[in-house]
Amino acid sequence: MKILEATGIEKHFGGVTALAGANLQAERGKITGLLGANGSGKSTMTKIISGVHAADAGEVWFDGRVVKYASPHDAKRDGIAVVYQNLSLVANLTVWQNIVLGNERKDKLFVDDHHAREVSRHIVEELLPGLDIERQVSGLSPGELQIVEIAKAISEEPKLLILDEPTAALELAQVKSLFSHMRRLAQRGIAIVFTSHRLWEVMDICDDTVIFRNGENVASVDLDKDGRDTEKIIGYITGEMEKSRAAVKKQTSPEQESVLEIKGLSHGGALHDISFRLRRGEILGVGGLAGQGQRELMLALAGFYPDLTGDAILNGKRTRLTRPKYAIKNNILLVPGDRELEGLFLQHSVYSNIVFPKLSEPKEPLFMPRSKYREECRETVDALSIKIGGLNLPVRTLSGGNQQKVVVGKWLSFNTEVLLLSDPAKGVDVGAKRDLYEYIVNRVRESKMSVILYASDNEELVDYCDRVMIMYEGRIVEVLEGDEIQADRIIESSMHVEDKPERK
Amino acid sequence: MESNTQGTSRKFRQLFAKPEYSSILMLVVMIVLAAILQRNFFRPSSLILTIDAFSPLILLTMGQAVVMLSGSFDLSSGAALSLYTCVLTWIMKTGEPFSGVVALLVTLAVAILVGIINGFGAGYMRVSSVVVTFATAYVWLGIGLFIRPTPGGDSVNWFNAFYDFRNVEGAPQIFQNLGAFLPPVLLLVLLACGIWYVISRTRLGRYIYAVGGNEESAYRSGINTARVQIAAYVINSIFVFLAALFFVGQNQSGDARFGDPFTLRTIAAAVVGGIALTGGKGSVYTALVGAVIISLVNKVIFFANISYAYGTLVAGLIVIVAIAGPQIYQIYNKRSAEIKRSPA
Repeated sequence: MKILEATGIEKHFGGVTALAGANLQAERGKITGLLGANGSGKSTMTKIISGVHAADAGEVWFDGRVVKYASPHDAKRDGIAVVYQNLSLVANLTVWQNIVLGNERKDKLFVDDHHAREVSRHIVEELLPGLDIERQVSGLSPGELQIVEIAKAISEEPKLLILDEPTAALELAQVKSLFSHMRRLAQRGIAIVFTSHRLWEVMDICDDTVIFRNGENVASVDLDKDGRDTEKIIGYITGEMEKSRAAVKKQTSPEQESVLEIKGLSHGGALHDISFRLRRGEILGVGGLAGQGQRELMLALAGFYPDLTGDAILNGKRTRLTRPKYAIKNNILLVPGDRELEGLFLQHSVYSNIVFPKLSEPKEPLFMPRSKYREECRETVDALSIKIGGLNLPVRTLSGGNQQKVVVGKWLSFNTEVLLLSDPAKGVDVGAKRDLYEYIVNRVRESKMSVILYASDNEELVDYCDRVMIMYEGRIVEVLEGDEIQADRIIESSMHVEDKPERK
Repeated sequence: MESNTQGTSRKFRQLFAKPEYSSILMLVVMIVLAAILQRNFFRPSSLILTIDAFSPLILLTMGQAVVMLSGSFDLSSGAALSLYTCVLTWIMKTGEPFSGVVALLVTLAVAILVGIINGFGAGYMRVSSVVVTFATAYVWLGIGLFIRPTPGGDSVNWFNAFYDFRNVEGAPQIFQNLGAFLPPVLLLVLLACGIWYVISRTRLGRYIYAVGGNEESAYRSGINTARVQIAAYVINSIFVFLAALFFVGQNQSGDARFGDPFTLRTIAAAVVGGIALTGGKGSVYTALVGAVIISLVNKVIFFANISYAYGTLVAGLIVIVAIAGPQIYQIYNKRSAEIKRSPA
């Protein structure tokens, strides 16, 4: 029996289309898998259903009526529970306090802690036996946190349970017990929508699956009826990919001299034994599904993790990468991904934003040579064709694309050896994106600088990279070179299908 | 044998690891010091004096602790305390016992309004609570000065019951006798504890911790975080109001300026008592202990015959040790745990 039907959903964020007429159905007692590459719109779809975003067009039908939720709270009241990837737990409360948070039952005036403990113990015992519900959440491991988050959603006794990548932080045994619990919930008549990057998990647990591509649902497969054909589903996910337009002429014979050599880099649970060589004048791409450790790799190379292990050899010399200042001293510069949080002083002028990095140079004179700096600043603005009303206007008045150009521009006046770009074109419109990349590519060719580029958009990797490393769960699983760099190849290796037998 | 000593040392360490326990340990040390320096410390008459001197800070600190648990600060509690004494003495008329009742109710309403205004600014307007209450502190001061430009005012006789039962004229003999060993302010502190005991077991109590711990998560769990913040400020206001009753009972007058020095001491006392500056962690009862410790510091310095200039310095140092000690210990503990966890 159908409980959810979303039809013709459209959603735009600024100039970016996240969903273009997508449909999704869920049935009572069935587990529906939601598959798709990065940016295919599956997360946006779940967020529209759960009231986080409002759809620009289309209709959501839930449990007998058309609904339009203004907030997650409304959706929750109707029986839609969502397990988000970023958790909604309060660290200083205990496990059971978190599980019932916002849903406490009252015993006259006081909260009914006895009942709350009972409910929590019951759910936790099924999901993760042995987890003490009296423990404070602040002391739990990422996997345990994820379990508590799931338990919290289940305790609301929803009619529709949406799980957005619930397994990313879990160990295999925890995944198994989660799956058996999901099956029990489905038997009780709950509809479940499950998204995961791991194809084998979807094959294992789901009854049917819907595949998203470019903001549309391109196929739906009834896994019981149509069989569990991995190849076919990958075909749907990648689609008939446009062959590379080769917007920029690729470096056909990269110089063999290596600038940076990384051996056995590891950091906590995010990076495992990463080794690679970066050649001079090369643009090395880092791809893969979202959240497989790419961002952490960029931060690690920029010296953000004091506990980093492994070797780094820069120009034949061993270097430490445990402090940002070591990286900067060695001319390894990071252009961060989140420009508003990490890259800019939004209230300050374009001029001070671009000049700022210079101030930390040791050879900086006591007084700023203002007119010289303004001239340099103007050159940067021209070179990147940043559209501004004036150098003194605050950066926040610029459009997203131009803001990002400022972030890149402020570092490029340096004698950079290795430039780390962490998803530099995120939320940037197409024109600005091209300007940005062409400028970077030109700089690379001119000054023999090397670039490591992490892009969540595979097209950027295809268009601009000489080699692409694919990451999966904190490891590099494949390196694509030359003609191999095609969008469908990238997606295929990203899914890391060979993973299946090993894990099962 | 060896494992046994290890066990005790671990227990001993755990004793320090929790700020709650370390504050109680510190309390014991301070009481012993005070008792050594002030010979008659435990004599009833001097104990009553001590309790009278300590209780206002205790009440204000408990209020501050509730606000801090919800993730905010109240920099206006001292000014609000002054304002309440002004309003009370403004309404009361000497010789008209009923005017005392009116004053009590009106001032309670003012206190609740003060809490709502502070909470509205911090919760709904989403302005930093430090900014909001810093500004409202001046508003309370301004209103206080308006209705009572110089200290003074009227008070009814029965308000003495908030300071010393023996001062109430025409009260029954038992009541008078009670005053010899029971300071009324102790009852006010117990009342505040009782109020918090009830609230802490309701949803509101849980939500105050949740909002202070992680406002975003609390919101996503369906909690109206702004309303919780308002409630925290109102509870605080009521505790401050109790302190105002004591002061009017003691001084029989109102003063728009005298409360100011309390404000920052309440925050220091709450932190010494184990309330996290970041919110969501700690207990209102141990905040009470923190207030006693801070008060005892001054007492000890006074009785140790340290000159005033040094005394303030020493008091500051003790507060630093009390605040920084447990934190440094925690950082040290965390680091050694990490070293142990990472494979060699």
